[in-house]
Amino acid sequence: MNEVIGIIIAAILCWLNFVIVDTYFGLPEQPGVKGARIIGKDVEKRGGDIAGGFFQGNILCSPDASAGTLMASIGSMLLGIPGGILAAFLVFIGNRLCADPGYAGTTGCLTATAIIFLASFIGLTPEMFIAGMVIAIFTIMGIDQARVSVVLGKIARKFNRHARE
Amino acid sequence: MFDFVFDTIYFASYSNFYGLSNISLSLGDVLLAYIVAILCSIVVALLLKLPLFPSKPYRYSFDVSAIYPTPIIAIGILSIFLVLNYTFMFNGLVLAVIIGVLSALFVKYLFDFIFPTPLDDNMGEDINE
Repeated sequence: MNEVIGIIIAAILCWLNFVIVDTYFGLPEQPGVKGARIIGKDVEKRGGDIAGGFFQGNILCSPDASAGTLMASIGSMLLGIPGGILAAFLVFIGNRLCADPGYAGTTGCLTATAIIFLASFIGLTPEMFIAGMVIAIFTIMGIDQARVSVVLGKIARKFNRHARE
Repeated sequence: MFDFVFDTIYFASYSNFYGLSNISLSLGDVLLAYIVAILCSIVVALLLKLPLFPSKPYRYSFDVSAIYPTPIIAIGILSIFLVLNYTFMFNGLVLAVIIGVLSALFVKYLFDFIFPTPLDDNMGEDINE
């Protein structure tokens, strides 16, 4: 498959994977660590949504499904499908070191490994998923935090995971 | 007469004595080994009287259980062996069973020493308020 088209498709798949898994496991609901609370309050002050701010703070402060998707892509590129599962184990250890139960990270890593395995049949390589995941995280954290946090807050409300504050 | 070290190493390198272990290992064998590791770890964890599900609330619980994180540890360790091309006997099935049992024992007896539960939320230093 053409590399540019592949990277765009991989970015969309990665974005959907980690936003859905992270939202389902309640990242917008409450800040797991102090840093996430500070980022959430700051994003709200700049005109964003508090739930989206907690989401951004949480994926910044501890390895959740976003880091899991990236680690699964890297592991699959290096070692094949067992590498993706090994990445889930490593993400779990990293989560516990960050005082995080680690449900979102390991689940996101395993679903990302499954997506990479299935997408390999239509010609998407793990390298495309690495580039796509970097683009996906850039859209969440890098372009306009306040405006993206409103979108994330809407998704959180749809999943019934909006912040209870 | 009885070379213990040689016999042990020979037995441990049962199927990859000639460095050809993974050539015979198909995708189905790998999948079967993963399934066996997951099932074995869950069953042994239940036999060790770990609860099946984490305590409530499910998504924020730090307690270990049979569903999580026992199978994650089992398939993670099994992946290390697979990528290092070490599959012991019967296409990795024996290895899967051993890793399943050991990961359940690890979660039951050692997990809290290695990954202790974090302190209470209110104990930390809050720089915002």
